[in-house]
Amino acid sequence: MTRLAPRLHDLALGTLPFVLILVAWFLLPHLLDYPSYMLPSLGTVIDRAIGSIEDGSLLENTLASLQRLAIGFIIGNGVAIPLGIAIALNRHVADTLRPVLTFLQSIAGIAWVPLAIIWFGIGQGAVVFVIANTIFFAGIYNTVVGVESIPNTLYRAVRSHGGKGIQIFTELILPGALVQIILGLRTSMAYGWRALVAGEMIAGTNGLGYMSIEAVQWYQTETVILGMILIGILWLILDRLLFVPLEQRTIVRWGLIQR
Amino acid sequence: MNAGLLTPATERFLKGAAGVLVLVALWQASVPLVGLEPYFYPSPADVWHAFVELMEKGILPVYLVDSLYRYLLGVGLGIVLGIAAGLLIGLSATASRILTPLINFLFAIVEVAWIPIFVIWFGYGFKTILIALVYVVLFPLLYNTLLGVRTVPQVYVNAARSLGATRLQLIKDVILPAALPNIITGLRVGAGFAFRGLIFAEIIAAKTGIGYLIFEGASTQQTARTIVGMIVMGLLWLFLDRCYLKPIERVTIERWGQVTTAEDRE
Repeated sequence: MTRLAPRLHDLALGTLPFVLILVAWFLLPHLLDYPSYMLPSLGTVIDRAIGSIEDGSLLENTLASLQRLAIGFIIGNGVAIPLGIAIALNRHVADTLRPVLTFLQSIAGIAWVPLAIIWFGIGQGAVVFVIANTIFFAGIYNTVVGVESIPNTLYRAVRSHGGKGIQIFTELILPGALVQIILGLRTSMAYGWRALVAGEMIAGTNGLGYMSIEAVQWYQTETVILGMILIGILWLILDRLLFVPLEQRTIVRWGLIQR
Repeated sequence: MNAGLLTPATERFLKGAAGVLVLVALWQASVPLVGLEPYFYPSPADVWHAFVELMEKGILPVYLVDSLYRYLLGVGLGIVLGIAAGLLIGLSATASRILTPLINFLFAIVEVAWIPIFVIWFGYGFKTILIALVYVVLFPLLYNTLLGVRTVPQVYVNAARSLGATRLQLIKDVILPAALPNIITGLRVGAGFAFRGLIFAEIIAAKTGIGYLIFEGASTQQTARTIVGMIVMGLLWLFLDRCYLKPIERVTIERWGQVTTAEDRE
C-alpha cells in the first residue's frame, strides 16, 4: 500500500487537467458564441469517433499509417545500420562520406515529399519513401558516430587478447556502438513519425494524416481533432512500449543512457 | 596523399570536399545514363541554372529572409515561453505532478498534426506558421526545463537558502544553472524539429519561403527549383547548427559542467 498509494495519488492529480479541459470544452458552447466549425462540441467528436469506428475507417487509417511507419523503419534501419558500420570501420571512407551524410541528414524527411510525389506519384510509394529516407539518414549518421566513438585502445585490448574478425565485431563494435545506434533508432522514429503524418497530409491517399487534412476542406473539425488525439496517443504508446523498455535494457546491459 | 604535410583537420576537410565533389560528379554522369526527363531527374547543371535564375530574379534571397524571420521569431518565442513555463511549473512540486501528464500528451501530439486545425482557426499564412513553430519549440523546452528543475539536488537548494539566498537569487544562481544542461538538450531537440516544422508549415500554409519553393517547384514541374530549395534548406540548417546551437552547447559545458551527449559515455 505504501508503494501504491503515492502512485494512485499522482494518477489522480495528473488526470485533473484532462478532466478540467473536457469540462471546459463541454461548457464553452454555452458560455461563448462561436461557429461550431471552429471548435465542435465534445459530443460531436465522440459521435465522430464512434461513427468512424463502426464503419471501420478509423481502424483502416490507423493501420495504414502504422504499416507505413513499420515498412519505412525496417527498410531505413535495415540498410542504414550495416552500411553505417561498414563505412565507419574505414577511417578514410568515413572521413570522405561524413560531410555528405551530415548534409543529407539535415534535409532528410519532409523536404523530400514534393520530389517523392514526382518519382512515385501520390500515395503509398511517396510516403514510404519519405519515411524510409528520414529513418535511413538518422540511422546511418548515428551508427557511424557510434562506431567511431569506440576508443582505439579498446581495439588494441581486444586484439592483444587474441580477439579476431567476427569476435571484434560482436564483442566490441556492436556493444560499443549500440547506445548510439539506439539513440539513432529513437531519434529517427521521432522524425519518421512527423514525416509520416506530414507525408500523408501532402501525398497520402489514406492514413491519419490524410484523414486530418482532408477534413479541413469540408470544415469537419471534429475529424481533425479526432486525428490529433489519436496521433498523440499512438506516439505515446509507440514511445513507451518500444523505446523506453529498449533503453532500460541497454542501460542495464551496457551502461548509462542519460536523456 | 602527402599526409605528413597536412594537419588532421585539413586532411579531413579535403577528404570531405572530395566526397562532395565525387557525389556531384556521379550525379552529373548518371543523368545521360538514366536518360529521364529533366523534370523527373534534373542534373546538377540544371540545378545550378535554376539557382542562378532564382538569384537574378531576387526570389531566393526574399524567400530565405522570410523563412529565417519566421524561424527565428517562432523559436525565440518558443524558448522564452518554454523556459518560463518550465520554471514556474517546476518550482512547485504539486504543479509539476498535476501538469506533467498533460505536458507529455501535448508533446506527443506532434506539431504537424496541429497544422490542420491551425489552418481552420487562423487561415493559411503567417499566423499558422508562427504558432506551429512556437508549439514545436515550447514543449521540448518546457519538458526538459521541468525535468532539470525537478532534478536539482535538494542539498544545493538548502545550502543556498541557509546562506540567506532570496527566492530570486535561488532561481538565478542555483536552479537555472543546474537545469541548464537539460534546457540546452530541449533547445537542440526543439530547434531541430522546428526547422522541419517550418518547411512543412510553409508547404501547407505559405506563399513564400524555402518550404514553398520546394513544393511549388515540384508542382510546376520545375524540379531543379525544388532541389535548389532542398540544398538551401540543408545549408541553412547546417549554418544554424554549427554557428549557433553547437557553440551554445559548448559554452554551457565549459561554464556549467557536462551536457551529456552519447559520445561522452565511455
